Amino acid sequence: MRIHEFANIFKDCEIVGEKIIIKSNLAKTINFIKNDYGFNMLKDITAVDNQENGIELIYRMYSTENEEEVVISITVNGETESISKIFDSAMADEKEIYDLFGINFIGNDELERLYMPESWEGNPLRKDYEEKDERLNWNE
Amino acid sequence: MNYLYFLYIEFLAKHNIPQIFGDITFYVIPITIIFIALLVVVLLLVLFERKLLGWFTQRKGPNRVGLWGLLQTVADAFKLLCKENITPHGVDKFLFNLAPLIMFTPALVVLSLIPYSSEFTFANFGTNALIYVIFAGFPILSILIGGWSSNNKYSLLGSMRNISQVLAYELPIAFSLLGVITLASSMNLKEITLMQTSSLGIFGCFWVPCFIGFLIMFISTLAELNRCPFDLPEAESELICGYNTEYSGIRFALFYFGEYTLLFANALFLSVLFLGGYLSPFGRYITPLLFQGEFGNILIYFEQAFWLILKSFFIIFIVIWIRAVFPRMAAFDLLKFSWSVLLPVSIFNLFLMVILKFLMGGAYV
Amino acid sequence: MNEASLLKLNLGPQHPSTHGVLRLILELDGEKILSCKPDVGYLHRGMEKMAEKLSYIQYLPLVDRIDYLAGFFYSELLCRTVENALEIELSERVKIIRTIMLELNRIASHLLWIGAFLMDLGAVSPFFYTFREREIILKYFEKITGQRMMNNYFVFGGVRRDLFDTKDIEEFLSILPSKIKDYEKIIDRNPIFIQRTKNKGILDPETAINGGITGVNLRASGINFDLRKTDYLYKDYDFTPIVLDGKDAYSRYRARVLELSESSKIIKQALEKLKQNTELRQAPVKPIGFKLPEGEYYSQIEAPRGLASCYIKSTREEKPYRLKWRTGSYYSVNLLRKILKGTYLNDAIAIAGSLDIILPEVDK
Repeated sequence: MRIHEFANIFKDCEIVGEKIIIKSNLAKTINFIKNDYGFNMLKDITAVDNQENGIELIYRMYSTENEEEVVISITVNGETESISKIFDSAMADEKEIYDLFGINFIGNDELERLYMPESWEGNPLRKDYEEKDERLNWNE
Repeated sequence: MNYLYFLYIEFLAKHNIPQIFGDITFYVIPITIIFIALLVVVLLLVLFERKLLGWFTQRKGPNRVGLWGLLQTVADAFKLLCKENITPHGVDKFLFNLAPLIMFTPALVVLSLIPYSSEFTFANFGTNALIYVIFAGFPILSILIGGWSSNNKYSLLGSMRNISQVLAYELPIAFSLLGVITLASSMNLKEITLMQTSSLGIFGCFWVPCFIGFLIMFISTLAELNRCPFDLPEAESELICGYNTEYSGIRFALFYFGEYTLLFANALFLSVLFLGGYLSPFGRYITPLLFQGEFGNILIYFEQAFWLILKSFFIIFIVIWIRAVFPRMAAFDLLKFSWSVLLPVSIFNLFLMVILKFLMGGAYV
Repeated sequence: MNEASLLKLNLGPQHPSTHGVLRLILELDGEKILSCKPDVGYLHRGMEKMAEKLSYIQYLPLVDRIDYLAGFFYSELLCRTVENALEIELSERVKIIRTIMLELNRIASHLLWIGAFLMDLGAVSPFFYTFREREIILKYFEKITGQRMMNNYFVFGGVRRDLFDTKDIEEFLSILPSKIKDYEKIIDRNPIFIQRTKNKGILDPETAINGGITGVNLRASGINFDLRKTDYLYKDYDFTPIVLDGKDAYSRYRARVLELSESSKIIKQALEKLKQNTELRQAPVKPIGFKLPEGEYYSQIEAPRGLASCYIKSTREEKPYRLKWRTGSYYSVNLLRKILKGTYLNDAIAIAGSLDIILPEVDK
């Protein structure tokens, strides 16, 4: 794994387990890893709502040539850069995250409600989301 | 028909019934009966197709209504007649209602042009074959009107496809028909049939010298009837149902029935042109061997009709077989195929027929 | 091009060949597609939201529904992630049984696709032929698991019942090669089929990788990306991933047909192993009330429709803190925007069909 190689290049990054946690310059970093290191596939983007610690986005990149994986993580608050110009597949993930977490990806102009109807209020996968319809809370 | 007419008038004269009554009934009653019989054949044809498709795909096909599902199509037709006629919003009501009628009428007209036996044609003109082609091209008008007036994009696309398709495939049909007309030196379907009389039976018919023409005509007929692999105007997986997407109830039934009547009529037409029509495929009729005398002479007409319908069902069988096996063609390949392959080849075929005719010295045996 | 002369067509959500409820908003000039915008979400069931509300064992029966044609793969994925977290070592017998079931499921899924794809192209018969064979597999599933489709057969640390009878499946494997030959006879050499699929919907490797296309579709574009090669379930089996370099709809079809025999090869080896294996059935973990240790867990599998993965973040509770599914079809739908542009309507149906999109997987 080249994790530590990356750690030397990106000054303000932190390595936790297999994850490289960066603070800023998301698009630049992803572009760099893609073009210079051949991580040509973005498997997916996972968003995790860590409540007061913001929303963590996990980018899982893969290289079909070297068959290795690198995981980039960034914590955002409300908005971040879009990488849909770099990876076509990011368009899909960003749309989904915009719908379910309400994160605005700057530079992605196709963002709109994906699963939920246009009139829906709130972002269902956020931890502070409240279900207005009490029938949905049958489990509690 | 003179012979039958004479017998009938004689029969009436014995019972003191005026001849004028005989003149009217002689034509009206049999024509009505035979027309109804033909429509029943078309109903059976739908069942035939469903049964065959079932067997091709290892199913049983319809087998619940009546014996072997014989009444299935009758039940379906009855169901369609009872259904509500839905007219969607925003359609042009007059044209929307007109389209199914235009589909159905020419289908009945062309049925009347076919010589069913040596003494029986509803309308026996000198230029039968030409009139047939004109009327068989008529349903395109209905599809255009239906597709346009439905106020549905799928219908519109379907009718658009159909027009370009029929325009492309009418010409090969005309040219291969010309080949046959050249061989037979006649535009009358009955005379074309008689020209194919020979001791060789089915092998003396026009499909042997005019095989290219037969193939082209068969393929183009498939296209004109919107049958697989040329069923683009009603491509189910693309255009839902094409031009008749918005039709329901009796209007849909008319479309459906019209299509199958045309299929039957075209199969009859093909067998008249190329497979010897009502002539026996064995070179001689069987009934005179079995029944001597007048009864045999009358029965021979039924035998002739039987051979014709058998031949047409053979063609329909191949049509259904193709449907079971082939996927649908792509729209552009379809048009390219007609303009760049079928049309030149059919013109070449026409030249070939002219040369053949010249070599034969004007008589085809 | 004049705006007014364009036709805006809503393909779906109720349409015979969108395989569910996909909606494509097309802009047509005649029959040429100028732009395509997929609209998904008609089958959204909130699979990820439900996970946060249910305990693991409550959630397990639901995951089959993510892809109803390949339900085993998603149960396996959830089980695998939880087993990773709990550090459960599976017994050899369970591994063999899971491999058999997964590969049978893959065959069933590909068989359905072959039929449905030919149906999209307008050929009716192959649909019935492939369903005839698929029926044998589904009957076998019913016999073993009690269900034809949403099997709910894998549980954390094991399987629900032992695989007690393999006679049906041996019989099926013995007839499958001749059936595949039949398909090849009726489909592969059919001139119209070749015309409709050869050089249609070309996915060059760069576009495919960039668009997140995985699985058979990627392998038909010449990239050897098969997770089974590194999967722990498959590591003792001898098979070669099918890699074709046609890049078009035809090679995607061929790749799936070839994969049928490749999968049956794996099952044959697994059946051999099962015969030699005399272990008793491993008892699954105590089903109720276990908690995953704190942390993040990720696992992936080669599903019939591409790479599928499951991510779980646990905060040592009975329920996952966050659970995320990655499914193959979603990215195929996303890429339709790109590859349908400039094609004709009836090619578009063939291309979209060739990508093997299934909507519950897209909508989750």
